[in-house]
Amino acid sequence: MIIFDKASVTYPGGVPALKDLTLEIPDGEMLVIVGLSGAGKSTLIRAVNGLVPLTGGDITIDGISLRGASTKQLRELRAHIGMIFQTFNLVKRTSVLNNVLMGRLHSTSTWRSLLGWYKPADVEIAMQALERVDIVEKAYVRAANLSGGQQQRVGIARALAQQPTILLADEPVASLDPPTSHVVMRDLQRINRDLGITTIVNLHFLDLAKVYGERIIGLRAGELVYDGTGEQADENVFRDIYGRSLTADDIMGAPESQPATIGA
Amino acid sequence: MTAAAAQASHRPTKPPRSRAIYAGLVAFVAITLVSVSEEWGIGLDLGSIVEDLGNGRVILEQLLAPNWAFLPRVVDPLLETFQIAVVAAFIGCGLALPISFFASRTTVPNHPTLTVSRGLLSVVRAIPDFLYALLFVAAVGIGPLPGILALIFFNVGVVAKLLSETVDSVDTGPIEAVDAGGSTRTQMVRWAVLPQVLPNYVAFSLYAFELNVRASTVLGFVGAGGIGFLLRVQYQFGFWSNVSVIIICLFFIVFAIELVSIRLRRRLV
Amino acid sequence: MATQRPARPSTLKRNLWIAGATGLLAWAALTVNVDITDLASLPAGLWAILSRMIPPDLSYLESAVPAMMESIQMAWLGTIIGAALSLPLGFLGAKNVSSPVVSSVMRQILNAIRAFPELILAIAIFIPIAGLGPVAGTLAIGVHSAGTLGKLTAEAIEGIDDGPVEAARAVGGRGLQVQRWGVVPQVLPELIGFWLYRVEINIRASAVLGVVGAGGIGFLLQQTIVFGRWPQAGMAIIVVVVATIIVDTISGGIRRRIIVGSEAKTVAEVDLMAESPVGRSVS
Repeated sequence: MIIFDKASVTYPGGVPALKDLTLEIPDGEMLVIVGLSGAGKSTLIRAVNGLVPLTGGDITIDGISLRGASTKQLRELRAHIGMIFQTFNLVKRTSVLNNVLMGRLHSTSTWRSLLGWYKPADVEIAMQALERVDIVEKAYVRAANLSGGQQQRVGIARALAQQPTILLADEPVASLDPPTSHVVMRDLQRINRDLGITTIVNLHFLDLAKVYGERIIGLRAGELVYDGTGEQADENVFRDIYGRSLTADDIMGAPESQPATIGA
Repeated sequence: MTAAAAQASHRPTKPPRSRAIYAGLVAFVAITLVSVSEEWGIGLDLGSIVEDLGNGRVILEQLLAPNWAFLPRVVDPLLETFQIAVVAAFIGCGLALPISFFASRTTVPNHPTLTVSRGLLSVVRAIPDFLYALLFVAAVGIGPLPGILALIFFNVGVVAKLLSETVDSVDTGPIEAVDAGGSTRTQMVRWAVLPQVLPNYVAFSLYAFELNVRASTVLGFVGAGGIGFLLRVQYQFGFWSNVSVIIICLFFIVFAIELVSIRLRRRLV
Repeated sequence: MATQRPARPSTLKRNLWIAGATGLLAWAALTVNVDITDLASLPAGLWAILSRMIPPDLSYLESAVPAMMESIQMAWLGTIIGAALSLPLGFLGAKNVSSPVVSSVMRQILNAIRAFPELILAIAIFIPIAGLGPVAGTLAIGVHSAGTLGKLTAEAIEGIDDGPVEAARAVGGRGLQVQRWGVVPQVLPELIGFWLYRVEINIRASAVLGVVGAGGIGFLLQQTIVFGRWPQAGMAIIVVVVATIIVDTISGGIRRRIIVGSEAKTVAEVDLMAESPVGRSVS
C-alpha cells in the first residue's frame, strides 16, 4: 500500500510541483494520472521511488517512510520498484539482454556487475522477463537497433526483471505511434492483472486514460483535483482537470484495432 | 513438450565475441608487455622508482624556492616566444587555408591532387616540431628565425589536416547551388565552402597559436629562440631556483593564453 | 508605398577584430629579433643540408630503428599511464558525477598538470627521481597526458544523456554500478578515440625527450644534425617519418571504426576535442 500524506515537493527556486498531496493506493491497483505538462505528474511518480526528494509531508510504502529513509534504504526500496520512461532510457550501445539484466543490479555484487558476469539465475529471470513481453528473440541485438515500441518493451522487461511489487510508468507511450501505444498499454494492463503489481501510469492522451485506467486521478498545478474511475471520467471531467477546453492533441485517436503481437 | 520448454526453445544463443576485439586485446597486452620488459623495452620497474623518490629531494627543495630576482631576465625571452608564436601562426595558418582545400575530398574530387597533397601533409605532420627546429637551426643559424620557420611547418601540418577534415564534412548543398550557377572551382571554394568553415578555421588557428606557445620550451632548447634556451642554460648549470621561476612564468602565460583562447573560440560558435 | 531598404549592417566589430589582429602581427613581425636578410640564406642552407642527406646511410638503421622503437614504447606506455590516471581524475572532474566543488578543484588541478610540457616534467621531476633513460621520459609523458585526457574525460562525461543514468538509479543500483552501466557505455567510444589520438601526439613528444637524456630517438637526431652527419641524419629522419606515419594510420583507422560505430561526431571534431579545451563548443 502506498500512502501519500500531505506530500509536497518544491523545487529549488521556489517552484511548487506537488502541494499537500494526500492519497492511498492499494496493492495491485492500476492507477492512471492525467494532467497538463507541468501539473506534477512526473514529480509525483519520481517521488514514489525517491528520485525526487520530498520537501514536505511523507510517502509511506508498505509502512516504510520515504522522508526518513537513508540512501541505502532508498536503494533497497527502489530494488522492488520498477520504472519505465518516456524516452526508454536504455543503454543504446549494448545488447537488449544487458539492458534487462540491469534490473538485477540490486542483487549483484559490485565486482560482478562491473564485469557484467551475472549469475545464471539472474540471466534466467531476465530471459523470462523478455519472454513475458514477447521480445526474447532480440536478446542479443544492440538496443539502438530496435524500434521505439520494441525499446519500450525492453524497458518493461528491465523493470519486470527486478521482480517488483510496484511499477511506475512516466508517459510510457508518449514517443510511440498509436497502434504500438495500445500494445504497450495492454502489456502493462496484463502485467498488472496477471502478476498483481501495483501500477502507476502517467498518461498524456485522455482516450487512453479512459480505456486503461481502473482509477484515474487528475493533477492541476500540483494539486489533486479528481479521483474516480475510468468509466466516470468523461469530457467534462477532463476539462475540469485541465482547466481549459480539450483540443485534438489531448486525444491519441487511433482505434484499438491491432492484434496483440506487433513486431514493428 | 511443455509450454515453458516450447518458449525456452525460442531463446537465441549468445553470439561469439567479435574476432577483431580479441585480436585487439591480444595485441594490446603483447605490445604493453614487450614495452615494459628489460630486454626489448624500456625496463619499467615501478619498485625502483618508488625507492628512488628520495633522490630528487635536493632539486625539489630548490624548485620550491624560486629565485624571484631572476625574473627580469625572463621577460625578453618570453616576449620572443610570444612574437615567434604570433608570426608563425599567421603565416602557417594562412598557408594552411589554401592547402587544406587541396587536400579535401569535397573541393578536389579528382584523384591525383588529392592523394598527393594528403600524402605530403602526412609527411609534414609526421615531423615533430623539434626536428624542424633542429633542421632550420642547421640551415640558417640560431635565433628566432628557425623557430618561426619550424612552427610554420608545424602549424601547416596541424591546421591543414583539421581543416581538410572539416571541409570533408561540409554541407554540399551550397556547393551544388554555386555549381549550378556555372562558376569556377575557385569561386565555388570562396563562396560555398569558405563561409561554412570560417569559424572552425579561426578556432583551429587560435589553437595552433596556443600550441606554438607551448612549443617554445622545446624550440628554445635547440636554439630556435624563445624561453627554452634560457631554460636549458639554467638547467645545465643546475640553477634550479632559476628554473623554477621560468617554469612558473611559463605556466601562467600558458594558462592566460588558454583562457583568452577559450573565450575567443566560444564567441565564434 | 515601397518598403524601405534596410541599412547595411555595421561591420565595425568585425573590422576592429581584423585591425587588432593585423596590428598584433605587425608588432610581432617588426619587433622580433630577426634580421630579414638571414632569410636569404635559407634556400642555400636547406639545399646544403638536403643534398648531403642523399643518399641516406642505410647502415645507420641499426641505431635509428631501436631508438625509434624506444620512442614508440615510451609513447605507448605513457599513454596507458595517462589514460589509467585520467579515468578517476576525469570522473572526479565531472560536475554531474562528483560534486560541483570537487569537480572545479579537480579541473584546476588538471589544468595545472597540463600546463607543464613533458620536457619540463622530465627534467625537473622524473630524471632526478628515476635517473636518465626512457623510464623518466615515459613517466613525464604519462603525467602530462593524464592532465589532458583527464580534462577531456570530464567533458565527455558532462556531455552524456542522463536518461540511462536515471534508469540505473531507478533499478536500485549502487554508485559504481550506476557509473558502469549509465555513464561508461555512453562515453567509452569517445574516450578510446582520445586515447588513440594521444598515442599519436605522444610519439612526437617522445622524440624531443631524448635531447635531455630521457630516452628515444631525440638524442640521435640532435647528435647527427648538430654535428652535420647528414647521411645519418637523413636516415634517422626517414625512420621517424615512416614510423610516425604508420602509427598515425593505424590509430586513425581504429578511431574511424569506433566513430562510425558510435553515431558520434566527425573526425575533425574528435581530433580537435582530443587536444583543445573548447572542443565541445566548437562542435
